[in-house]
Amino acid sequence: MTISRNTISHALLLIALSLYTAYAAGPFAWTAMMSVRTTPEISDNPYAWPTVWHWSKYADAWLSSNYATYFWNSAVVVSVSVVLLSVIGAMAAHCLARYRFPGNRIVYFIIFSTIIFPPQITIIALFQVLVDYGLFNSHIGLILVYVSVQLPLTVFLLEGFFARLPQDLFDAARMDGYSDFEIFWRITVPVGFPAILTTVILNTIHLWNEFLYAVVLITDDEKRTLPLGIQKFLGDRLEDIGMIATGMMIAIIPIIVIYTLFSEKLIQGMTAGAVK
Amino acid sequence: MAVVKLDRITKRYDADGPPAVDSVSLTIADGEFMVLLGPSGCGKSTTLRMIAGLETITDGELAIDDTVINNVPAKDRDIAMVFQSYALYPHMNVRNNLAFGLRRRGFDRHEIQRRVEDAARILELTDYLDRKPFALSGGQRQRVALGRAIVRDPKVFLLDEPLSNLDAALRVSTRGELIKQHRRLGTTMIYVTHDQVEAMTMGSRICIMNGGRIAQVGRPMDVYSYPADTFVARFLGSPGMNLISATVASADGVQVLKLGEANLLLPTEAPSQALGDGAAVLVGIRPEDFYDTRNLRPTTRSCPLKSKVSAVEPLGADTLVLVQIAGTDNEVMARLGRDVEVAAGDILELHVDLDAVRLFEPDTGRALMAKPNGTTGAD
Repeated sequence: MTISRNTISHALLLIALSLYTAYAAGPFAWTAMMSVRTTPEISDNPYAWPTVWHWSKYADAWLSSNYATYFWNSAVVVSVSVVLLSVIGAMAAHCLARYRFPGNRIVYFIIFSTIIFPPQITIIALFQVLVDYGLFNSHIGLILVYVSVQLPLTVFLLEGFFARLPQDLFDAARMDGYSDFEIFWRITVPVGFPAILTTVILNTIHLWNEFLYAVVLITDDEKRTLPLGIQKFLGDRLEDIGMIATGMMIAIIPIIVIYTLFSEKLIQGMTAGAVK
Repeated sequence: MAVVKLDRITKRYDADGPPAVDSVSLTIADGEFMVLLGPSGCGKSTTLRMIAGLETITDGELAIDDTVINNVPAKDRDIAMVFQSYALYPHMNVRNNLAFGLRRRGFDRHEIQRRVEDAARILELTDYLDRKPFALSGGQRQRVALGRAIVRDPKVFLLDEPLSNLDAALRVSTRGELIKQHRRLGTTMIYVTHDQVEAMTMGSRICIMNGGRIAQVGRPMDVYSYPADTFVARFLGSPGMNLISATVASADGVQVLKLGEANLLLPTEAPSQALGDGAAVLVGIRPEDFYDTRNLRPTTRSCPLKSKVSAVEPLGADTLVLVQIAGTDNEVMARLGRDVEVAAGDILELHVDLDAVRLFEPDTGRALMAKPNGTTGAD
């Protein structure tokens, strides 16, 4: 029996995809399995399929280990940060894309160039600034830091999209009698919504998982965000692998839900305008 | 009533660089359909945008009905514009696209509804009011763009190459539609295009622009028949006017134009300045003003011109023949009938319609012929 070239290439493709899926999804699947197993069961056989599904571990983590508080803190900090990033970023991007003013490109370059700096360079200075202004160990301080570090990338992404919107749209709105702010609100925001949604999703995912700024700038247990909560588990209960896995799943699930619901919009936003 | 007057309008983007629009003066009468025609980069769209208020005016005055509006914002000029790209709001349906400008101006919703429905009926858009632009064809989008201007009931319509994104067949039908709308509305329209066919068929007058300046203004056939300079002569017509170097000479007591082996009698209409023997001129002859012997009308005042065929382009309806005039290196394009059978290398005797010949100064390119009333040149 001869095997066609098509069949061989499909088979090779399938093998490659399977290997990559195992590589990418494997750790997640393993963590998910460990999240419903107890630590002694995991110690016995780390890779075994659960024989008993301990769903109560989720309740335990949520109620007894302060996960509810950490989850709520993350939700508040990330939501407020993302809203501020979207509003300020969209307005800044609109101005940079649509208006010719002296220093336009210099401002853009300054904003954009801060992307290249790793957080380790600025963290000590940020720490001192927040202490000086009484914002250390506060959600407001953390929100301000999150907004300032994510704003350059947000502005960069949105400016690129807004600049591709035809100038005629804005000229038509001007002739229809709309002011600059009304044009931004009635034209740029609705037409640029795919790009704005893309930045919302990207910022949410990034800030939800953000650890470095949070661990330096938040010290009170009651103010910790989720990544710090998991780290606390690691510090306090080094042996409790099962609870660590359960905590990680609680942290990951909202991101998976958001990505599943909005992945199509994310791809649309990233590729919008690529083809005329 | 809306008389638009441009008085030495100038636009500079860079204080040290050349102006994009250089001292343009033009008066557009009430209800007139004025076409601004010229090659890309000639300043016609910039002029239109200054009238709209979308570009600032560096120098000069712009007035509508004797009111200077240089510093009046675009929204307060009572002008509606149709853009080349239509500029339809993609997130709104047709109804909201038409109503958007009216809502901002505080019209009550019944009036808005009435105007939107009237415009939709006139432009045959009633069935599409709930569709978004992406679900419309190019012609439908163009009508929505026009409808958005019509509902405003403005003093002046500005149209910036509105047909350039349509296919050839749709362009023809939409041209007729625009002419019909102009007759119906009677509003002053200023139309920018680089397409000569649109300019010749639609304009009450055409204004040819070149390098930021006005080259000529006048009725389409006047400008076509009496170009003010060599630029206009070459630009209008497809192909444009042939321009051949010649010398004025005397033969048998009569002044002629020496063109290689041929002597052309001077045109009946006298040149605007005296031409002495030996004077160099540029002779302008349109391709359609050449005739072969069979098709020459007996009433045409003509002169024979021996030539050698260089190339033949049969177009179907007629034939373009590129010929070299005997005794010169000059090549000219002649538009002959479809039944002409010639090939490269043939000797062809052409006849020139002497009354259609135009003369130009070789140095400046300016026309030497007297112009009929209503046509102004660059001066």
